[in-house]
Order: sequence, then C-alpha cells, then structure tokens
Amino acid sequence: MDPVIELDGLEVRFGNRVILKRLNAALTGRSVGLLGPNGAGKSTLINTLLGFHKPSAGTARILGHDIRTQARAVRSLIGYMPENDSFVAGMSGVHFVRLMAELAGLPAAHALERAHEAFFYVGLGEVRYRAVGTYSLGMKQAAKLAQAIAHGPKLLFLDEPTNGLDPPARARMIQLIQEIRDRGDLHLLLSSHLLRDVEDCCDQVLILKDGNVAAFCNLEEERRANRRFLELETRGENNGDFLEAVEKLGCETAPGAQGRVKLVLPDGLEVRRLYEIAADQNVQIRRLNRKRDSLEDIFLKAMEAPNGRL
Amino acid sequence: MAVYKKTYRPYEGELTSSWLRFLVIPRYALADLRSSRFLSLFFIGSFIYPLICALIIYVQHNASALGLLGVQGARSLISINVTFFMNLLGWQSMLALFLAAFVGPGQISPDLANNALSLYLARPFSRVEYVLGKMSVLAVLMSLMTWVPGLLCFGLQGYLEGWQWMRDNARLASGTFFSAWIWILILALLALALSAWVKWKPAAGGLMFGVFFVAAAFGAVINGVQRTKWGSLFNISHLVGSVWVQLFEGSKKTTNGAVFFRVTAGEGIPLWCCWMALGVLCLICLYMLARKIRGVEVVR
Amino acid sequence: MSQTQITFTNVSRFYGEVLGINNVSLSIPPGITSLVGPNGSGKTTLMNLMTGLIRPTQGEISVLGVAPDHPERLCRMAGYCTQFDAFPKGLTGHQFIYWFLRMHGMSHAECEEKTAAALERVNMTPAGNRQVGAYSKGMRQRIKLAQAIAHDPQVLVLDEPLNGLDPMARAETIALFREWGAKGRYVIVSSHILHEVDQISDQVILLSQGYVVAEGEIQGVRSEVKEQPMQILVRCDNPGGLAARLFQDRHMVEAKISNDRKGLLLRTNDADSFYLLLNRVVLESGLEVESVAPADDDVNSVYQYLIGADGGTV
Repeated sequence: MDPVIELDGLEVRFGNRVILKRLNAALTGRSVGLLGPNGAGKSTLINTLLGFHKPSAGTARILGHDIRTQARAVRSLIGYMPENDSFVAGMSGVHFVRLMAELAGLPAAHALERAHEAFFYVGLGEVRYRAVGTYSLGMKQAAKLAQAIAHGPKLLFLDEPTNGLDPPARARMIQLIQEIRDRGDLHLLLSSHLLRDVEDCCDQVLILKDGNVAAFCNLEEERRANRRFLELETRGENNGDFLEAVEKLGCETAPGAQGRVKLVLPDGLEVRRLYEIAADQNVQIRRLNRKRDSLEDIFLKAMEAPNGRL
Repeated sequence: MAVYKKTYRPYEGELTSSWLRFLVIPRYALADLRSSRFLSLFFIGSFIYPLICALIIYVQHNASALGLLGVQGARSLISINVTFFMNLLGWQSMLALFLAAFVGPGQISPDLANNALSLYLARPFSRVEYVLGKMSVLAVLMSLMTWVPGLLCFGLQGYLEGWQWMRDNARLASGTFFSAWIWILILALLALALSAWVKWKPAAGGLMFGVFFVAAAFGAVINGVQRTKWGSLFNISHLVGSVWVQLFEGSKKTTNGAVFFRVTAGEGIPLWCCWMALGVLCLICLYMLARKIRGVEVVR
Repeated sequence: MSQTQITFTNVSRFYGEVLGINNVSLSIPPGITSLVGPNGSGKTTLMNLMTGLIRPTQGEISVLGVAPDHPERLCRMAGYCTQFDAFPKGLTGHQFIYWFLRMHGMSHAECEEKTAAALERVNMTPAGNRQVGAYSKGMRQRIKLAQAIAHDPQVLVLDEPLNGLDPMARAETIALFREWGAKGRYVIVSSHILHEVDQISDQVILLSQGYVVAEGEIQGVRSEVKEQPMQILVRCDNPGGLAARLFQDRHMVEAKISNDRKGLLLRTNDADSFYLLLNRVVLESGLEVESVAPADDDVNSVYQYLIGADGGTV
C-alpha cells in the first residue's frame, strides 16, 4: 500500500539546534497517531510537513508529492486543525470557512455550499451565523475542524483536537474523528498527549523522542497479540482463595490498579476455567478485560530506550 | 422514496486559477468595508474636490457659463496646468492617507490576533500572495481616489481642448499616474507593516499620521539646528514632492511640489537621494512584514 | 467553622446578573477531590472563591478555619494553579517563583532553597533560567504548578493542571498529587479527562450550570443514583442466548444487543445476583466470554446521568 506520509532522512534545524534528526518512516494507516513528550519535535514535524519550516537535509513525501519541490501541491491536499485558537476576528462562522475554502481553490459558489455542509457535519449547524469570536471553546474546536475539511482534503492534520473540551464535547469530537477515519477516503494524522484518544482513533502510532523516531507500531497487531493478558476484578472471595486456585492452574498473577488483578493465561487455558473456579467459590467476576493498556506500555518502553532509539 | 443523510462528501470539482487566487482577499475585504457607513461617506466625500476641478475645467471652456458667472477675465485666473494637476493629486493623496489610516490597521491585525495566519498558509497560498492581496485592497481604494479622478480630469480637459493639447501635455497624465502609484505603494506598505506590528487599531492609525508629521517635524528640526538640508530625508512629503516634480516636469522645474507635498526651496536634496530614501522606506516595511507574516512563530 | 475541612455554606456568586454558582454547600475533607463539570458550570468560580480571589455574593466560606477575607493567612495556606496562561513579562522561570516567594516575606536564602526544590519537583531545573515566554505549553504548565507548590501549602487548588502535559509528565504530576493526598493535604483538581479522575480521586464533586449536582466518593455517588439500574457490558459470542437465559432472572430490566452482534448491554436492579448467574450460564452453555465490565460504575456514567450531554452552556 502506498505510504501516505514518507519521511526520508528528514532533518530540521533552528539555528544551531537540530530539532528533527534524520527521521525515517513510512506511514500507511488510515489514521496515524503522533506521540511524544514535550520538546520531542511533534509540532516541528507537522509544521515542516505543512511547509512552515524548511528541512535542512532529507525530505518527506506526502501522498507521493515531495514537500521540498511540490510544496504547493502538498498543501492543496492537506487540511490542518491547529492546536491553538485560530480564526479571523469579526467574521461569522460560515463567512470564515467560506474564505478558507476559497483560498484553498474552491470556486465561490461551491465554497459557500461546502461551508454550510461542514458546519452541519461537525454539529455547529445552529450557530454558524454567529461571530466565531463569540463561540465557546468546544465550538471553536469544531469550527477549526470544519475549516479543515471544507475543501475536501485527502489528509487531515489534527493537533490536540480535544484540548480543553468538556466530557460530552470530547466524546463528540472523538466520534467525529472516528467517523472520518472509517470513511476511508480521508487519512488522518492525530497528534495528542492523551493516550486514550490515540488508542481510540488510530491504527498506527509514531512515537518521537528528542527528535528521533522512538517507536513505530501497528496498534491492530498489538491488540491481537495481547489476547492472553487479562485484567480481573472480583467480589465475594475469601482471603485470596480465588487467586490461589487460579495460580494453581498455571496463570501468573500480579496486582493491578484500583484493586484489580492482572493475569496471564497460559496457552491452552480458557477463560471458562476461571468461571468454573468462580462458580465453585461463589465469587463474582465483576470485571474481565483483555489488556487495554498496550499503548501505554509501548510508550513507556519507547521513552526508556537510550538515545531515544528503540 | 429516498432518505438523505447529511454527511461529509469529498470535493471532486474544479479549482480556481492559482494565479488569481490572491484576489479572494480583496473581494472579501472590500465587501466587509462596504458595510462601514463612515467609510462609504468618506469615500464619496473624497470625490468632491475632483468634481470641483472638473467643474472648473468645464466652466473655463464654456463662454456662456463664464458670462453667467460674470467673471469674464477669469480665464486667466485659474490656468489648467501642472500646478492644477499636481494640486489635485496632492489634495487627493492626503485624503488617501486618511483612508489608509482608517482602513489599513484592520487588514492584518485581526489575522495575527488569533493565529489565523497558520490557516492561510496551510493552504496552497503563499506569504507573497497574502501581502499582495492585502495591498490590493488598499491599492484599489486609493487608486479610485487619486489617479482615476486625475486622469478623468485630464481626459475632460483634453476632450475640450483638442488632441494637440493632449499630446503636448501627455506628461501631465503620465505624471499623475506614476506619482499616484508611488504614493499608493508607500502608503499601502506602511499601513500593512504597522497593522502587522501594532495590535491596537487606533494606535496603528495614529502611527500612520505620526510617521508623516512627526518625522517631518523631526526633519525640520534637524535642518534648523544643524543648518543642513539632509534633515529633509525624514520628511516623507518632501521626498515624495521632489519625486513628483521630477515625474511631472522633468528637469524644467517651475513648481514647488504640490499642496501638502511642498518642496521647500533651500532644503532640496538631490533627486537620487529622494528615490533612495523612499526605496529604503519600502524595504523596511517589507522586512517588517516578512518578520511577522509567518505560519508559526519560532521562539529560540 | 471546622479546622479540618474546607466548607462552603449556602454560597452564591453572581457576576452582575450572570450566575456563577448558586446556593452551594460543600464540605471538602483531606485527600484528592475532583471537580467535574462542563465549561461554564462554576468550577473556576468555586476555585476563585476558595482561594479568596473573589468574594461570595452571599454565604460563608471557611478554609481550614480561615475565612477568605483574611488573605494574609489564607494565601500562606493555599496554592493556586489557574487554567489561564498569563505571566509577568520578561521573567525567567526561576525569577517567577523566587519573587512570588519573596512576597511571602521569607529570607533570600529560604526563597532560593524553596525555588530550587519546587523546580526540581516539576523537573524544570535545567529550564529555570530561560524566559517563561520561550517555554512550550507543557513547560508553562509545569512552572505554574511549581509556583503553586513552592510555599508548601496545605491546600492545593488546581484548575486543569494536566492540560498540555505529555503522558510521562501526566503520570509524574498525578504521582505528586497522590503523594500530597497521602500526606493529608487538600488537593482540589478540576479536570475533563474522566478516566483520570476515576484513577486518582478520593472524592468527586459534580457541577452543572452553577449547582452542585453530586458530591462524595465515586462508588457512593453511583449507588445513590437509584433511578438508574446498573449497566453491565458483556462481550461474548452468543449474546442472544445469554440474554434469553438472563431474562429468567427477575432483576433484569433491559438487554440490548450491540451492532456487531458480539456484545450485550444489560441493565439490572441487582448486580450481585447477575454476576453469580453469569458464572452458571458460562458453565452450562459453554459461552465464550470476551470481556465483562460494569458500564456505568465510573465518573463518566455518573456524569452522563446527572449532567448529560447538554448540561453545559453552549
């Protein structure tokens, strides 16, 4: 499958400091997450791909177009949702998105149509005639998403899309992003500090540290590989009898967060056997999860590797 | 029956021409400015003087009208010559300064205030196009105020006087045109540069006046104190006036510049210095714009 | 006036006509307390009242026995990390903390020591000599936190402190909160990230549109919401069969099969009997269970029930 974004020895310097050190990666997923500690170079990478910084060495290709030689073509394929507040003061929502769409090359009539469509799609249909400066934070975020998709890009850059949103607005934004990802004709690059957001929305994850690629992995594969790891929460057991019985079957156990138990099922052992023990001892298995924190572990492992290279 | 759902659809249609895309900005800006009543009135009001000039031209050629006004000998009073056209340009250019001070500050500062520039530049749209687009807004308005009425008056006079007069005085037309454009260029660049650097609009507007009048006073002080003529380098109206004299009259100077753009005798500096100084001013403004108009601020 | 709690007694705060909070009565014990609610629900107002930055229109507040109109005493006891990003211009990180400590009246040596300790605690020692204006968002967040803890306050009030922090910094900061909570300090945190609130807090206060909708320990809060039967999500290979079998239990209220036909969302009035029944069903019918989880035992669901999706101001 053709890579959506290809980094080819990309190096970016500010003065004497090297911010991105010869990155090499080929991102092919529908939706790629970009993670990394502060100062790892995430924003610099996005800004370089957008053409705001010139690479000092190497290059990158977006959907086949080189960012050094075909910068304009690249930018016509991209939609960008910045992290900070971004709007033109004094304009209504529709006016603002119209302007942005026309600047991306849409003819005036189409731009107007699509501006309205974009507002309805992100859920701001009711407030699209109000000045953007009067919007609440959640509405401003949705408006930024609207201007990013109005001109029909092929690749979306989302920088901290759930920043500052309250829980229902966050859920809506995540849902929108998942819908966009599931459509299939629009690729996503999501940069976030919230591991859960990245886990919910992305297929592949690129982790940066100190300007290097610390890890690049495929979440789908990771999830499939984790089927033997369980997390359990029980109620009604007497003095660890349940755990003892489980260990006798050959499982390794370890205490987890919030009073839960993590265990590893040996090959050949089915979950059913756990239920047998529970039925025998009159214990309720209140919670049974396949291990969810794969991304957190991957991230922590990547951070611990020396020189930021895994 | 069919049920339709509001959903996202990709865009497969045509795109507008890449070269003309910067015109989107003046279209939007002019539409927004139209809604300001004060500005519309001011703009209309700025045509009063050209109208008076046109009237004078007409009256001069219309003996019966002259008789009506009872000013038989008035023909010699107001002669339609270089001074006439230069004064027209001078007066209109001062009005253009007012316009730039009102309109200019609101061009770039709203975009910078809320980080919209990273959205502009994340599109197939460059910084040059952005500045060009913003300059066009000012250029269109100021052109309509300065050289368009000037050329129309020239045309009227030529129509009434005949083709030969037009050939002889073609320099008036070209002088009007190019002088106006030099002024428009300087004003537009200065207004945009101030709009980019100064957030508060009234302050930016005030600075526009300040650059002209305060700098001029400063120049005059230098001239007085140091007994030199080089203080005039700071006096932008002096510099522009000198350039105008050259464009209108070449080497046969008869005028002292235009109203508001006086070239005081004894304080004239060589012409190439005037051009250089104006060029340097433009470069400074361009540099100021280049510093501020970026996709992302780089903090070291 | 309890000396060991932060109490609000019938406190209201209006901004002109606009409501901040209305008739709120609270009593906050030591430990980590989370403030949860949509934007505009009064969280920042509550925090500003607690730290004495604004006065209530009505009612009384007492922070460990000190009323907020004694700022001399209150400011020594409380540290505040606001959600807004504002700094005096031109200061370095070190100077920022140092000068605020000097305003407490401590000697130069003591201030230097405390500043160094605070910077160390938030991992900002190397960056302490750079200007705050040059910091990234995460660094500014950490310097704000450092300034709030520098004078070792009893009460720590933090408005969205994890905003902008990368996952490791989040974990470190959460560890800091846990440490302070364990020491018996009062840590009041407001956050939108509900699964983190679940993990770290002892108590939770839910606010909506200026009213306190619920407060207390999370488990306790859930069990108080009696109108709603417990929701449990079971992912298995035969949800239909499971549902049929479960409906024979008289406590089951509702069962919903998920879109991919591999999950069952059920609601029951008696969770205990359900789980024991599930044990039997698995053994008898050979059901393959993928996962079992209470679907509403956390702050997220309590939030949904009590505040809902439209509970905030638009």
